[in-house]
Amino acid sequence: MNFITTTKTAIRALRAHLGRSMLTILGIVIGVVAIVLVIALGQGAQDLILNQVQSIGSNTIIVRPGRQPTGPSDAADTILSDSLKQTDVTALLKPVNVPDLESVAPAVLVPSAIAHDNTLFRGTVLGWTPEALGQVFNVNPDRGAFFTADDVRQAARVIVIGNKVKEDLFGDSDALGEFVSVKGQKLQIVGILPPKGQVSAFNVDEIALIPYTTAQKTILGINHFHELFIRAKEGANVDTVVADIEATLRETHNITDPEKDDFFVVTQASVIATVKTVTQTLTIFLVAIASISLMVAGIGIMNIMLVSVTERTQEIGLRKALGATNRNILLQFLIESLILTSTGGIIGTTIAIAIAALVSYIAQTYFNIAWPFTLPLGAIFLGVGVSSAIGLLFGIYPARKAAAKNPIDALRFE
Amino acid sequence: MALIVIDNVKKVYGEEGVVTAVLHGVSFSVEEGEFISIMGPSGSGKSTLLHILGLLDRPTSGTYFFAGENTAVLSDEALAIARNKKIGFVFQSFHLLARTSVLENVILPLYYSNVPKKDYISKAKIALEHVKLGHRLNHLPHQLSGGEKQRVAIARALVNDPKVLFADEPTGNLDSKTGKAVMDTLDNLHRQGKTIIVITHETSTASYANRIISISDGNIVSDQKSNSRHSHFSK
Repeated sequence: MNFITTTKTAIRALRAHLGRSMLTILGIVIGVVAIVLVIALGQGAQDLILNQVQSIGSNTIIVRPGRQPTGPSDAADTILSDSLKQTDVTALLKPVNVPDLESVAPAVLVPSAIAHDNTLFRGTVLGWTPEALGQVFNVNPDRGAFFTADDVRQAARVIVIGNKVKEDLFGDSDALGEFVSVKGQKLQIVGILPPKGQVSAFNVDEIALIPYTTAQKTILGINHFHELFIRAKEGANVDTVVADIEATLRETHNITDPEKDDFFVVTQASVIATVKTVTQTLTIFLVAIASISLMVAGIGIMNIMLVSVTERTQEIGLRKALGATNRNILLQFLIESLILTSTGGIIGTTIAIAIAALVSYIAQTYFNIAWPFTLPLGAIFLGVGVSSAIGLLFGIYPARKAAAKNPIDALRFE
Repeated sequence: MALIVIDNVKKVYGEEGVVTAVLHGVSFSVEEGEFISIMGPSGSGKSTLLHILGLLDRPTSGTYFFAGENTAVLSDEALAIARNKKIGFVFQSFHLLARTSVLENVILPLYYSNVPKKDYISKAKIALEHVKLGHRLNHLPHQLSGGEKQRVAIARALVNDPKVLFADEPTGNLDSKTGKAVMDTLDNLHRQGKTIIVITHETSTASYANRIISISDGNIVSDQKSNSRHSHFSK
């Protein structure tokens, strides 16, 4: 008995109980949708984050104070640490220390709302250098201009705001030259950024930039930095630059044991590695949970196949009387459960991919998030493969039961 | 050598104390071309005997040579192949597959044979012509009368050109008129040289045979030639 004939017979048997077959398939569909969707969305989310990370540029190096975070307490340490100072910037800028360094942009985070009249905007106020945003993210004001290096030297009371900040605080009226206050300090708007949405870790529309000196002295009254944005020269070996930076900072901080570093270095490569680890761990975890539903669906298959075997005892007996071997019967029922599950697998995978594409479309169209959609080939193979495997796994017991039937008892069965 | 040779065949059912002996040592042989009726009341062991002869069951003891082979040494798979190639079955309740056309019901044994696929339809058509159902190829079983169903079953039994046809109460579910038509069909096959073994408790059906074996309580009580063919149905 060849495969095509067996398949035809199986399809006929399944169609005889169409409603029942459909409900059984539904269980598999749900399980496969869950698994494939988790993988597809996980892949999409990972790609989204990686795209943003990559938009920083591979020659961007970030130095943060405190220890490399390995837990929540370390993260607090990073925020509170004041280890990065102007002396560090000066030392890093010396070519003898870090020969392949292009620029250092110290950053100061101001945890405060921006106020105008009685309106508040809760965004991110960042003390930075004028060139940092333009260089790093390729965003420049379309009205007015960035504050200048002179503004930084003099800690000028100036601010560049994102498009949404302007809209929320000023509406349609022109905001250029107007004043806003941050922590009670009046700052004059010298530039407004074009609508740009999410760029890397920042939503450019909701950001406000001031000279880092203004953030330090005028607003926060501190003399340390929260972050150093360093760019290596084009074509430089980033690992070498990182090593140079670490050596320089250890020297200025009088640290001999690298274990006792009061700063840590983040590069694109290290962020990518972290993101991948996190999303992959999360995906495996979610797939494991989704697999439970597939197991339940598999038990449903087994149940319905057992019912089918009992119902068709006579048919099995007849087939054996006409010359079907145990193997013929086993294959017939195995193929039936395989058809059930792989149909469910194909339907489920298709639905999951459609949902993933829809999520990507909605994110891009309505939320302005560059959520990429790539056809998750691995997920397709997994969805169809796993569902077929479920068919074999849970179909083998009913099929063996069918094959083991004694033809006489089976023929007598009424 | 005779087609069927059984010697002192016993069949015992049950295990661990509760044992029911169904056949108490049955011996006979069947030559090719014979038309035999095995008669007996229900519970006499005639169905069990048919199952053993039809290779659907194995005897508890005794020997059974079928077509020159000792069936005791054949594997289950070899028995399945023998059933497929050398034996045709006709059952009391027809056992046709529902929702499956007459043609495909007749093709069913060919699926399990090594007949090339391209010959399936022509072979099945020939078998159906044999039972005068060549015009019913695409009908479904529920569209047929009882007599037609049994003739489809006969065509199915014939399709692999077996050495012997076993019929278990073939007229049991039919009225006397359609029963006669079915028995005439079997008689016709016998005339063409087929070996036919019919199990029945109806003398009218048994009378078609040229040899009648009577069985009671698991023993053969008589085994004689019969000349009373057609005596009942021909009236």
